[in-house]
Amino acid sequence: MSTDEMIVTGPGLEMDTMFVNLGPQHPSTHGVLRLGLTLAGEVITKAFPDIGYLHRGTEKLMEARSYAQCVVLTDRWDYCSAMTNNLAFCLAAEKLMAVPVPPRAQALRVVMCELNRIASHLIFLGTYGIDIGAFTPFLYAFREREMILDLYEALCGARLTYNYIRLGGVAADVDADWTSKCREFLEFFKPRIDEYDTLLSFNPIFLARTKEVGLVSKEAAVDWGLSGPNLRGSGVSYDVRKSEPYCGYEAYDFNVPVGAHGSCWDRYFCRVQEMRQSVRLVEQALAKLPTGELMAKGVPKIPKPPAGEAYAHVEASRGDLGIYLVSDGGVAPYRLHVRAPCFINLAILQEILVGKKVADVIAVLGSFDIVLGEVDR
Amino acid sequence: MKAEGSGKNEPVPAKHAEAKPAAAAAPAPKPAPPEPVLNRRHGKLLTETRYWPTEIWRNPWSLPRYRAGALWLAGIVLGIAAIGAGVGELAAWGEKLLALLGRSGLPPVAVAWVWVLVKLTCVIGVIVANGLWAVWWERKISAHIQSRMGPMYAGGFHGWAQTIFDTIKLLLKEDVTPAAADQVMHLLAPIVAIAPCVMAFAPVLFGDELAAARIDVGVLYVFAFASISVIGVVMAGWASGNKYSLLGGLRAAAQIVSYELPRGFSVVPVIMFAGSLDLAVIGQAQAGYWLGFFPRWFVFYPVVGQLAFLFFLIASVAETNRTPFDIPEAESELVAGFHTEFSGMKWSLFFLMEYGYVLLASFLLAVFFLGGGAAPLPHPAFIPAWLSIPSWIWMTSKAMLMMFVFLWFRWTFPRLRVDQLMDFNWKFLLPWSFANIGLAGVLIYLHLQGWGLR
Amino acid sequence: MGAAVIGYFKTVFRATWAFVEGLWITLCYLFKPSVTVQYPTEKLVPYDAFRGMLLFDASTCIACSLCAKACPSACIALESQVHPETKKRVPKAEWYTLDLGKCNFCGLCQEACPTKPKSVWHSLDYEYAFSNRDEMVRCWKPGFPLAGRVWDPKGKAFRDLESYIPVREVQGRR
Repeated sequence: MSTDEMIVTGPGLEMDTMFVNLGPQHPSTHGVLRLGLTLAGEVITKAFPDIGYLHRGTEKLMEARSYAQCVVLTDRWDYCSAMTNNLAFCLAAEKLMAVPVPPRAQALRVVMCELNRIASHLIFLGTYGIDIGAFTPFLYAFREREMILDLYEALCGARLTYNYIRLGGVAADVDADWTSKCREFLEFFKPRIDEYDTLLSFNPIFLARTKEVGLVSKEAAVDWGLSGPNLRGSGVSYDVRKSEPYCGYEAYDFNVPVGAHGSCWDRYFCRVQEMRQSVRLVEQALAKLPTGELMAKGVPKIPKPPAGEAYAHVEASRGDLGIYLVSDGGVAPYRLHVRAPCFINLAILQEILVGKKVADVIAVLGSFDIVLGEVDR
Repeated sequence: MKAEGSGKNEPVPAKHAEAKPAAAAAPAPKPAPPEPVLNRRHGKLLTETRYWPTEIWRNPWSLPRYRAGALWLAGIVLGIAAIGAGVGELAAWGEKLLALLGRSGLPPVAVAWVWVLVKLTCVIGVIVANGLWAVWWERKISAHIQSRMGPMYAGGFHGWAQTIFDTIKLLLKEDVTPAAADQVMHLLAPIVAIAPCVMAFAPVLFGDELAAARIDVGVLYVFAFASISVIGVVMAGWASGNKYSLLGGLRAAAQIVSYELPRGFSVVPVIMFAGSLDLAVIGQAQAGYWLGFFPRWFVFYPVVGQLAFLFFLIASVAETNRTPFDIPEAESELVAGFHTEFSGMKWSLFFLMEYGYVLLASFLLAVFFLGGGAAPLPHPAFIPAWLSIPSWIWMTSKAMLMMFVFLWFRWTFPRLRVDQLMDFNWKFLLPWSFANIGLAGVLIYLHLQGWGLR
Repeated sequence: MGAAVIGYFKTVFRATWAFVEGLWITLCYLFKPSVTVQYPTEKLVPYDAFRGMLLFDASTCIACSLCAKACPSACIALESQVHPETKKRVPKAEWYTLDLGKCNFCGLCQEACPTKPKSVWHSLDYEYAFSNRDEMVRCWKPGFPLAGRVWDPKGKAFRDLESYIPVREVQGRR
């Protein structure tokens, strides 16, 4: 049904369109995002996302910092899953320098990134529950996330901005104590996902709010360049970990959940299933943790990659995070561009929200899982 | 993983001198760092546990604070029972007070007026006390459902005075009325919202014979006055001067008015079973026990009782704008609620109104379905009569149990969208409450034919 | 027709059962102990590796400036002492300044420091608060406490920090 049919007009009857700002300060926009909505009564006729409130100019800042210092800045893009940001940048730089990463470092990278995926999806689960009105899963998700952050604190010293995955390997080692605590967390976590399913995923009210809402067809998803669970929720089975494996992902046995209809619920449930798969991955990686050193040999303290360009992309929690790195042989990158998945996922809102009712905006926006740090960089 | 850098567990000043291992090897004399100052601000440092749920939940009873909490709960319950047993039936005390007033020498008209004022004060006192108590209880229950603790600080023991301090804060807030708003309406809206709540409590039973007024058509009276608050809600939406608050107010009004129908119709089976609209008679009709031990509460009547109870509960949850039906109050939705532009005492009156209606619904649920003041088991012979728990304690406990169900629903379920809310009412609740009335008729017919328990 | 009726009742019962299961979960959590750490009466001690408040020890510093070069936010400045007779640079710091307003607590300065034990390190302290911006810039000279002092522009002197009460200063030193 097109929006023209919904607006009732006629002699003496005119529909006044109203412009409403959703944000930048709003409990549901998950950051400082401003959605400008033009409403005709209850129906949205035009929607545009207005971003830039969190822009810090990291791409420009990185042109004046050495590669080790740049890793610190990468933490702050998608701050909910900082390990994958570090990883993407380091992969691009390692590609430029042709540095082979030792196997123990690769396995540890997989462990940390998958734990970060769990942590990030827990934030999504909690905040999406709050958007829909269920306040309790948020606290449960953060209680589980607290344990993951504890593990990270014991490992590298920080809970959110880790600066752990470095050029050539990783910064710190894990000991038997850490792995046993990690396994304890995983054993504790597996039944919790079932609880979230009972409390939220299969709750009839939640299903009614999200099942037929925000439908994105396969073609639309590919056209608009969606990635991550947003793409897989629409039925396109594309995961960078399977199509172009990095860090030894080809050796692990895991599935990639794919949704059927492209509704909000499909995107949400993709993430829940991804948490289960991440648990499997962490268990496998911890079981097969090879011995060895953590950093590649021959990487200088101040690396100077040879002139050239490299592109590396990873499957971040929110989609396909790509780093395009151009080096001129100097200490700092000549140019760095970030293919931020949230920035590109956000664009589809202009099409999806048109013709929908206001009450669904929050559900649809929440299901795309936007983090403004990545949108604005 | 070690939790301490230098391996010390007690950062006490006396041990600090040994805490500088390799630094003392430097040739230059090192100035001693300032002594760590431990004052009240610093609290107990936890090194042994990180409060991981895996550690705490393995054996909750090993935690001292869990055992202490259980003991406190048991103590409070027993204390309330003891107070109730000691005080006895409040209705008897009321009779004594009335007799005292009659003997005091005032003309009968004055006595009647004073008695009305006394009852009114009691009812308002109950509502205000409920406002204070229910908010605290909700915060505590929601906290423990969410694995946290809730208010702990205000007043010392588990933050019991939190709501009192919140009320003082709200009273001290600046009263902001938007310029675009209708000033008189803005002032009147909260009053019109809460006054019917107080009036609706008139026939509500607080015990076996403890009601402010004995009204023949008690049920009708309560529902009539509960409906008047819709005017206050619409006035609030209108008086905000804000298009979205108006929409929110109208939406809330539509919701409240729609859910009154299944609410009323689900009580019809109860009226049919009891044979009267008087709340005291409905309570009395549930006295006694089947087979000597099973209480004759209406909720236990096969199928009809349970369905009526559920429908009344769901409709009450929707009436009082609680999750899962709390679209009018939802903070994370786009449309502002009807009380957005109200601050300070005006807002707290709306809040009090919500909890007042929750209390009203709890008491009604207790009277209609859970037997009113009747005890769940017959009084055991070995306990003397003066030690029995009076009916007002039972009534209040049942009402609090129902209030707990309200809170439980709020923190478990997500929110329904407005059109789904209306769908649910008109397409599910209302037809099924009609069917329930029919089933009640069938049950009465079968009972009259001699089937079923006496 | 009959199948539709049965389907309807099945949906209703399945929905009710889903609600009851959800309610059961929250009820069970009501009776489990909470995981809250009651700050400020109870405080967690972070792990060894935690990157908390920065401390500097002028007596072990050799003024190599590796920390200043490693910092991504350029918040460290220092100058080495000059020998009074030979007028040559001595490997000791004359003054050292750290701007905590710019610091992003990445730990690169700590990793770059070559001395054993490290001269600049992240302690385990996370309870620092500043009452004004001047207090964010910490200055050290030889003999100053490990937490540094603040330059007071009005009094033109160094003063100890008002809002920072050192609890455990030496812990966290690697």
